[in-house]
Amino acid sequence: MKKLFTAAPLALAIAATPALAQSTEETLERMQQQLNAMQQQLNSAKDTGIRFNGFFSTGFARASNDAGYAGITDESEVADLSLFALQGTFDVTQKSQIVMQLVGRGEDDWEPQVEWAYLSHRPTNNLQIRAGKMRIPFFMYSDSLEVGYAQPWARPPQSVYGPIAVTSYVGADASYNLNFDNSSLTATGFTGFTDEDGNSGDVQLRNIAGMNLTWTDYVWTVRGVAATAEADIDGTRLGALAAQSGITLPPGITQLADGDRGNFFGLGASYDDGSWQIIGEVTRVEVDGKFADTDSAYLSVGHRFGSWTPYLAAGWTESQDDDERTGFFIPGAVPESILNYQRHEYSIGTRWDITPGVAIKADVTHVRGLDKGYGNLNTGYMLAENPESTNVYTLKLDSAF
Amino acid sequence: MKKLSLLFAASLLVSPFTLAEVVVIGNPAGPDSISANEVRDLYLNRSKALPNGDSAKPFELPEGNATRAEFHDKVTGRNDAQLKAFWSQQVFTGRGQPPAEAGSASGMKAQVASTPGAIGYIDSAEVDSSVKVILTP
Repeated sequence: MKKLFTAAPLALAIAATPALAQSTEETLERMQQQLNAMQQQLNSAKDTGIRFNGFFSTGFARASNDAGYAGITDESEVADLSLFALQGTFDVTQKSQIVMQLVGRGEDDWEPQVEWAYLSHRPTNNLQIRAGKMRIPFFMYSDSLEVGYAQPWARPPQSVYGPIAVTSYVGADASYNLNFDNSSLTATGFTGFTDEDGNSGDVQLRNIAGMNLTWTDYVWTVRGVAATAEADIDGTRLGALAAQSGITLPPGITQLADGDRGNFFGLGASYDDGSWQIIGEVTRVEVDGKFADTDSAYLSVGHRFGSWTPYLAAGWTESQDDDERTGFFIPGAVPESILNYQRHEYSIGTRWDITPGVAIKADVTHVRGLDKGYGNLNTGYMLAENPESTNVYTLKLDSAF
Repeated sequence: MKKLSLLFAASLLVSPFTLAEVVVIGNPAGPDSISANEVRDLYLNRSKALPNGDSAKPFELPEGNATRAEFHDKVTGRNDAQLKAFWSQQVFTGRGQPPAEAGSASGMKAQVASTPGAIGYIDSAEVDSSVKVILTP
């Protein structure tokens, strides 16, 4: 009975069509018009679109000791490299959209955090203005910092990407893009503030002002960035370390920067002709006071062989103001020099694109020259054992969808 | 005789690939021609405008499609895996979204025919009056 009811209108429609049409040609024309109308409706539904993209990483890393390079010790768990992100793009008008990115990391018990939440407006084809929460564009891979799939390596070279753990800010930027025949130049100005958990504790950057210039002919890319801010850095981790040993530090001693001027300079270049993939960056961090000023650089060379892209990378970082850290945080036990930096790192690894959207990476990184300073390492272990080097083994799966 | 029939069989196998070639098509109301570099820039998120200044709406065929592979081989020089990596970088750096996808050559024609500023590509054998060929790469 129910079937009859649903079938009846269909039968009517089929019966009615030839009755209304004068000829086959007319019917065809009408159907074509209907098809066009449907297509237009479909298109307009797409235009008011909400799009979702995501990326996912998981993997396993283990080090030869507990030095804690990139946070990895000799009993690392799988969850540490796991993250899942969902990005939504909501078109507000034809020229503006809202972009939001939620990232849940295994090491944070998958608690989702908003990494991006901004409104972007494109008044002309060349100008884009954004406001909200965004990545601080310090590095060539800042924007895709956690998108493993968009990177050639198992992890960005820590010599350059390690010393600064603050990755996001709330503010605004404006990008102007000049297109030439076979190249383009993009100039971006950005400003804002941030309050995040850094390597040594709580980091606040106020009145950030920066400029970013990128030129590319789509094989070569050259990028320069300069930024300045007022920095407050409270080394809360030092306090925690002291508390472990039953010592209460005098108040204010962990304040590594208090409204001090912080500057960042970076220069990067890359070459990608489809087979060779060469990337290098040189950066300088300067903060008045005890916080380590670091110079860093890396060079990475990869080559695509079909779905395999093996790479070699070498990196270096060193603190430049060690004479500002000659005292002690805990007299006789914890010298200020634990904030000093020096390391050389050598990586060999490969990326394997199993299928579009999924890549597996394997990497071995040897890090040496750790004995000068323990900045960004596992301070307790370094103070006790003072190892010269560490090896880190990583196997990682990166996906984007 | 055997040789001849072999040749015939071989020509049958080869002909679908040699006779047909990919062509770039546009909405009938759009510009009449476009350069290969301009097409490449539209499909690699380097430009958002057609030669006449109108905002462009590029369409892609699905991954694994032979016409798509030929188009990208000739115009952008990238394969599906490279395109996927490229677009994931664009998307997750907030620079843009990949072109909308048309499911088939006829879907592509319908989209391009009904969308102002649309640009797409199909096999030359599929071209009809609903769209116009603006470049043979």
